[in-house]
Amino acid sequence: MTDPLPVREGPEPDDVAIDASVAHANPEFVLEVKDFCVDYGVGAQMVRAVNEVSFDLRRSSVLGVAGESGSGKSTLVYAMTRLLRAPGVISGGSATLNITGDDGTDVTPVDLVRANEKQLRKVRWSHVSIVIQSALSALNPVLRIGREFDEVLKTHRPEMKKVERRERAVALLGMVGLDADRLDRYPHELSGGQRQRIMIALALALDPELVIMDEPTTALDVVTQREIINQLYELRTRFGFAMIFITHDLSLLVELADEIAVMYAGQIVERARATELYDAPRHPYTLGLLNSFPPLHGARRELTGIPGSPPDLSDLPAGCNFASRCPFVMDRCRREEPPLMALGTSERRVACWLHASDAESPVPVELSRLPRTNNDAAPSEGVAS
Amino acid sequence: MSDELNAPVQLSARHLTRHYVTRTPGRLRNAARLVRAVDDVSLDLVKGHVTAVVGESGSGKSVLARMLARIVKPTSGELILEGTHIPARAKRTLEYASKVQLVLQDPYASTNPVHRVRHSLERPLAIHGAARADLDALAKAALTRVSLEPPERFLERYPHELSGGQLQRVSIARALCVEPNVLLADEPISMLDVSVRLGILNLLRGLCDNEHLAVLYITHDIASARYLADEIVVMYAGQIVERSRGTALVDAPTHPYTQLLIASVPDPTDPTSAALRSESHPTFDVAQVGCRFAPRCPSAMDVCRTSDPPDFQVGDGHVSHCWLHADKPEAVVEMALPERRREGEPTKR
Repeated sequence: MTDPLPVREGPEPDDVAIDASVAHANPEFVLEVKDFCVDYGVGAQMVRAVNEVSFDLRRSSVLGVAGESGSGKSTLVYAMTRLLRAPGVISGGSATLNITGDDGTDVTPVDLVRANEKQLRKVRWSHVSIVIQSALSALNPVLRIGREFDEVLKTHRPEMKKVERRERAVALLGMVGLDADRLDRYPHELSGGQRQRIMIALALALDPELVIMDEPTTALDVVTQREIINQLYELRTRFGFAMIFITHDLSLLVELADEIAVMYAGQIVERARATELYDAPRHPYTLGLLNSFPPLHGARRELTGIPGSPPDLSDLPAGCNFASRCPFVMDRCRREEPPLMALGTSERRVACWLHASDAESPVPVELSRLPRTNNDAAPSEGVAS
Repeated sequence: MSDELNAPVQLSARHLTRHYVTRTPGRLRNAARLVRAVDDVSLDLVKGHVTAVVGESGSGKSVLARMLARIVKPTSGELILEGTHIPARAKRTLEYASKVQLVLQDPYASTNPVHRVRHSLERPLAIHGAARADLDALAKAALTRVSLEPPERFLERYPHELSGGQLQRVSIARALCVEPNVLLADEPISMLDVSVRLGILNLLRGLCDNEHLAVLYITHDIASARYLADEIVVMYAGQIVERSRGTALVDAPTHPYTQLLIASVPDPTDPTSAALRSESHPTFDVAQVGCRFAPRCPSAMDVCRTSDPPDFQVGDGHVSHCWLHADKPEAVVEMALPERRREGEPTKR
């Protein structure tokens, strides 16, 4: 076992050379995703789990992806990194990773969707790595932790000597606040938090430009979660990798992410700067998500969350997918599907007819709050110590 | 059941203790270690009230729930169900099970995947002696109680055909169908999707307010405990470290562990908590002598390392298990239990 990441995936697209696939590369962005679609199954039973998702990720920035289960957030990143297993199929779009060469200047675009196994092998871990939710199933139960580090370094850095690999592993563990003696332990001897730290250390082993975190703290309790989030924040400041952080906990994202994308039924329904999204949600679904968490302060009042359940992806309604659960639904929502439109001149995007320039009714007050102006709780200051 | 207004105690735990002996193979060969999973916990579950138990993994909260359901036998201590004392070693009886029911965290793991919902509901009914002819009607009534309507739509489904929220409602219905007076819910929402969590919490609240069940709500999410509970209890390493009526414990925490728990909750509205949050507590050492939280406690004093603190009264119905509050000597509470509730105290907010 040289590669603990699962490598099975859907049908292989035709092999295309790296440089030929994408003509332009914007070095500012580490990842450019365009019209990305993922289906489960083919033919009549086909279900579109990710529907025309587009976003760009700047270098060293953090994109938070939030949404309920089944919203397609995990499918999106697994497909993007080509880790998705059959019956998952990428059915359209591109995901371009702009990788920097060893000298740090040269930027080569790689379309992950069209890359072949050999190219993927070069990109994975060295340029993109992933931390999954269940660290217990990601770590091999019969190998000592040290072996996991050793294998990845041996494979991707063949020039390293055994002693150097050990040193690197110790350094990596130090980065996540663990002692070197953990290297001789088996996964079952460690707590959930420690295992997740090891996953993070492993993900950073080759200094990737992009780290994907799929609910890394969901299975942990709050105190451990807090420690890991602080650690992540520190590591990102130190090494400058970009991050895609998936979670259902919006308030966690507000502290960590620069930008948040909210997904619903396979689509991005709102995208905004983290604090703006938290203070002034524009999509009714975002508002519902924010209201699903009981607050720690203020008067106790009954909350309702989001009524109903997510739509059946195999039988999506006409118009807006959220219409049946939306408290502000209008006639138009049931007829036409709202595109992801820009809000005024800002960079915010929202897929809701309430905010269309030709909207019939005024925007409800809950969805027209102004964002905070002071920067006290901006994410960059929020967790820095 | 006596006077409704008096809010009688349905189930009491007195000095419940559960110790486990573990042996770590390899290292320190066969050195037995005593794990005090639950240590001297006393608790009252009151009719029409939600009691929340908050703590991180390993704090003993699930063992406590299982002892209250008498699935796990206590090492010592006793349970008092509606005035009847039940010694630690007594066997679990069907009668006890009909009064106290447990709902588990993961509904997919706690329902039989090869049987329809009907089976999951009718089987406990049959075991508890319901007439065969009534089974269908009783099962339907149980589903209606948890707002799964129309019940016919759900009875013939298999667990995998339902969403997590729906299935958790089924497992609550299964617990309710034998008409218990006490419902123990062990992390009922932590495996569920965010948007359906509130639905389950509101359901529990409704069962409490409308059907006057005594509910024990176990969680690691202190915000949801604040949302739901009439009394909150914080556990650390098997002990109750702080308890309060209402939300006093969350609004003004007095134990350093409660403070740590609250500071750890992501809360973008509170910029001041950033400094507190950056304090790292990398160890999970539980002290064998003195206060169990002392090794992680930012304000640990010498006394904390030598002797376990008693419970100090820090407010009305608010008790803290911490030496920091020793300056109010008159506040020492004999037993870690708030006095009986005032009569007719409203349960509704």
